[in-house]
Amino acid sequence: MLTTEENEALCRVGRGTPMGRVLRRYWTPAFQAADLPEADCAPIRVTVLGESFVAFRDSSGRLGFLDELCCHRGASLVLGRVEEGGIRCLYHGWKYAADGTIVETPNLASSTFRERVRHGAYPVREAGGLGWVYLGPPGTEPPFPAFSWTDAAAGELAISEMIMDCNWMQVQEGSIDSSHVAILHLDTLATMGAGPRRVGSLDFPGEPWDLDMPTPGTRRAPAAVWPSDDNAPRIEVENTPFGFHYAAIRDVTGEPGRKFVRVTAFAMPYTAFIGGVSDGAVIVVPRDDYTCSSIGVFKVPRGSGGSAVARRASGIDPAVWGPEPANRRFRVPAQDREAMAAGKSFAGFRGGNRIQDAAVQLSEGRLYDRAKEHLVPADLAIIRMRRLFADSIRLVEAGGDPLGLGDGCDFSQIRAASQIIDAGQPWQDLVPANRGVGEPARQA
Amino acid sequence: MLWLSVVVDNACTGIWEAWGSGARPTSLRVNPQVYDAVAAARPGEVARDHPLMLLGLPLIADSGVATYEPIVS
Repeated sequence: MLTTEENEALCRVGRGTPMGRVLRRYWTPAFQAADLPEADCAPIRVTVLGESFVAFRDSSGRLGFLDELCCHRGASLVLGRVEEGGIRCLYHGWKYAADGTIVETPNLASSTFRERVRHGAYPVREAGGLGWVYLGPPGTEPPFPAFSWTDAAAGELAISEMIMDCNWMQVQEGSIDSSHVAILHLDTLATMGAGPRRVGSLDFPGEPWDLDMPTPGTRRAPAAVWPSDDNAPRIEVENTPFGFHYAAIRDVTGEPGRKFVRVTAFAMPYTAFIGGVSDGAVIVVPRDDYTCSSIGVFKVPRGSGGSAVARRASGIDPAVWGPEPANRRFRVPAQDREAMAAGKSFAGFRGGNRIQDAAVQLSEGRLYDRAKEHLVPADLAIIRMRRLFADSIRLVEAGGDPLGLGDGCDFSQIRAASQIIDAGQPWQDLVPANRGVGEPARQA
Repeated sequence: MLWLSVVVDNACTGIWEAWGSGARPTSLRVNPQVYDAVAAARPGEVARDHPLMLLGLPLIADSGVATYEPIVS
């Protein structure tokens, strides 16, 4: 639990707020690069960390990320014309270069103003199909987090963004929470062939119900899908140079002396690498205090068809959300209570894990008051994430750097895992580089 | 500002360590400032005279406990 005051400090992200100051010290994935497909294409409005910006791609293909409103009279540059190496405001024709230089002021002949004033512009770079921005104080950019997928070609990545109308912490906490997986996602496990399951006193038959659900891989033997009936995993957490990683450790059904380990890694402050999800990550970015984007990024084999694979991997259901910009906002689908009552479905939501996750996360309200919660020890990963954010707030307020900037860490080596191992084997063996072995991935 | 997230993280880590060593903790002793903060957040439990719980353990206010160093016992 948190005090109401602390909850506010951790959840609100606007400029000048405690967490807003922290988040502005990291590279932030703010938009999909595909939304700016070519030079001089239409600009887009990007709301991130409670502020609005205009993103555009100039005549040379260079990205620009500027304060949205023209610094003359405040018209939105999203309405502007992208032309000849800059973006021009429609209102009085002021024109800005990608670096914020004011290059033309048609209603002011003097060049002195243009030389002395600069429009708000922020470092921006394209990596892993996303536009990453740095919104912190100039000159304080940390090393860019070059994850294993950020240098992949566009055709080798599947990106799916779900816009959710709730505070980002609710979604971020869900993305690193392992103890709900074998409960909330029973319908997914059933579709994958996991067979009968038990939740407390409830016996769930585990017959596939949502037959259209996109699931990774093909039907496998039940034991290979989720080899444990243990719904109270042991949690072990270690801090790392990028944040932390943890293991959810479960007994293996019928195999004493073995353990089922799911390792999740969390790279501060947005990115979770989730055990069982191959070579990809889930990123949660606050748009404002009451809206966030959950972005799935997954590497797909070259030539296998990115969008088709994306739909399989991310559970996109065009009825409730979709990849198109106008259809990214998630709408809670109808819950099939009849299927639940008949024992066919556990959660009653069709569409896979992300739909189920989004439904419960939104159900907590626009900004959940954590003073009311009753945490249990199985929530240790969530508890540790909050701790790292709280420590970062204190560090930044004292003039220091936030945690997890990655000194000594090769971001490209961060891994998650999901595997059965001998009970005596350290789970850290599955993710040896997470502890910071290797040179830091520094890029210009 | 009191950072309960720090208190809770230290307490939760202590519980897992206790379990790992075979112990079965029965209470959580915290600084009175922490106890009061939890009580303020849980007026319903206080009004019903229910024991305050944190991480599944009953809370005990103890002025000998440092604010950010709860004791699992």
